[in-house]
Amino acid sequence: MKTFADSASAFIADRPDAAPRQLAWAAFEAAGLPTTSDEVWRYAPLKYFDLDRFGVASEPATRADSAFAAQLCERAGLVVRVVDGFCVNTGTGLEGVSVEVVESTQSLAGTTFAERYRNDTFAILNAALAPATTVIRVGAGVNVQEPIVVLNLSNSTASFSRTQIELGRGASATIVEYFEGGANALVVPLSEYLLDDNSSLQLITYQRLDHSAWHVARTTGFVNRDARLRQAVVGIGAHYNRSRNDAEMRGAGSENELRTTFLGSGDQVHDFRTHQMHTGARSRSTLLSKGAVADQSRSVYTGLIEIEKGAKRTDARQTNHNLLLSPAAHADSVPNLDIRENDVMCAHASSVGPLDELQRWYLESRGVSREDAERLMIQGFFYEMLANLPPELAELVERDVTSVLATVNVVTP
Amino acid sequence: MTSTLMIEGLRVEVAGKEVLKGFDLSMKTGEVHVIMGPNGSGKSTLAHALTGHPGYKVLGGSVRIDDVELLTMSPTDRARHGLLLAMQQPLEVAGVRPIDLLVAAGVNPANLRERMRDEADRVELRPEILDRFVNVDLSGGERKRAEMVQFGMLRPKFAVLDEIDSGLDVDALGAVARRLSSASNEWECGILAITHFKRLLQELTPTMIHVLSEGRVVATGGPELSDILERDGYEPFRVASA
Repeated sequence: MKTFADSASAFIADRPDAAPRQLAWAAFEAAGLPTTSDEVWRYAPLKYFDLDRFGVASEPATRADSAFAAQLCERAGLVVRVVDGFCVNTGTGLEGVSVEVVESTQSLAGTTFAERYRNDTFAILNAALAPATTVIRVGAGVNVQEPIVVLNLSNSTASFSRTQIELGRGASATIVEYFEGGANALVVPLSEYLLDDNSSLQLITYQRLDHSAWHVARTTGFVNRDARLRQAVVGIGAHYNRSRNDAEMRGAGSENELRTTFLGSGDQVHDFRTHQMHTGARSRSTLLSKGAVADQSRSVYTGLIEIEKGAKRTDARQTNHNLLLSPAAHADSVPNLDIRENDVMCAHASSVGPLDELQRWYLESRGVSREDAERLMIQGFFYEMLANLPPELAELVERDVTSVLATVNVVTP
Repeated sequence: MTSTLMIEGLRVEVAGKEVLKGFDLSMKTGEVHVIMGPNGSGKSTLAHALTGHPGYKVLGGSVRIDDVELLTMSPTDRARHGLLLAMQQPLEVAGVRPIDLLVAAGVNPANLRERMRDEADRVELRPEILDRFVNVDLSGGERKRAEMVQFGMLRPKFAVLDEIDSGLDVDALGAVARRLSSASNEWECGILAITHFKRLLQELTPTMIHVLSEGRVVATGGPELSDILERDGYEPFRVASA
């Protein structure tokens, strides 16, 4: 029985825009699932991955929010609810912000999704199987004070949410994309962000899926002149957590600050990929990836900084630090540079190791117990990543991360 | 209640080399003792060994507060028995906030933020520094003052100050020294200050000065010792130890 293919065909046949979906589906079938011999999938436990464990959701099932999700929504000015990939509530009441659900094949890159993501099997699946695109627009000059929350809830299915966020000239907003649920599910979100000139977006992607889920996410920011995209990606859940976060600094003076962080436990695999593409002159990107792996979990960070000819006086930085919390945990770090312009500033650094012995001693020498010192340092790994968030959100996420950390075993060498 | 810090025959090895070769010192709470000595005489080694720094290996001797041996204790327990080191170069601990450190160290959390602000005021540290991660992105002087905030909150029986005066301007030094002096009144804190500058002595009135040379105390005396050091340097003491 081909559960996945059958449910996908049935899903596509029911959609109004079946034709482009069928094309994308055909592209998926032609390419097939990746294997670990593909370099970019080397670390994924694909050997144990069977698409036919999943059926494509034909409609959203009901799902109760967790206490955390409820608290998050309390702090929001606007809540967009997405269940199993279907936007079920666009929210209301935030001036200058519109939320629409559209049947669209168009990527914010200017091409179709299928074209844009032709080399990414799971993103192609999203092109074929996302129920629609949820489009959030912040009007030119609008400064949204309260956070917008996109609540992504998943049940035990294959779900493909797709979100586009567009900020007009000079607009600013804080947007949280939050993921939970997903026991034994396949969750494949695709997000795109378009920042028009001089706009500023603070994004928080917080992934708290069930530890049995497969999560294969992709985000891309398109950053125009003097605009600023700050993105914090926090991955806690999923059995396999793949997060690809790209940014294209297209405009002169554009800026991207990306902070990705993860906590691995059990036999989780966290697979973070970043691509910072600079085409605009005087553009800046700062990437800080930090994560901790405990038990038998493992992580990989692969980042590419690409600087096109003409992107003069670009400043791009990439830093990756990995904390090993158990001798059986493993982390790989693969920073890469591809620079085609001479007049640039570029730097990368990475490290893999246990907790810093001297920092721990420093805390102990103030009277902090070893256990608490380690706990503080591991929390600190995450707190540092959240430092730039609005305080009311940072505090909420910190508390949640802390509650998870309290359950993690730390084995020091 | 008066406590006594007793260091006897302390021998410490760093990177395979014996640096402290039988160090002795005895002091009571409420007193200010100053250790002076040339570079390489073992001053910093003493400070680190007392607090159990992992890079320093104790070969022998004893360090006791009121007859309780500290050398067999973890760094945590030494601190909880009343010993605090204020470091020459306080370490950065990214992601850890001073307030969380202090709560984990057992400081009463009631009104802690306000109390920390008061302490910061006393050493002229900008209060917003308290919201930064421990010592991260602080100037040398700010770090020293931030150590003083911890000192004021932790209220140790004995504080070991490892060149707290280096990198401080005259105003800051005055503020830090005044804070330390009042601590000896407020909770009879005993202060063991390691320095090779005379500046600190003008601000803190020492009970005793100890001259350290080649890993041993070679002279002990009152404040007048610092005048001799000022005039003649360490050379005569070095000869005396040979």
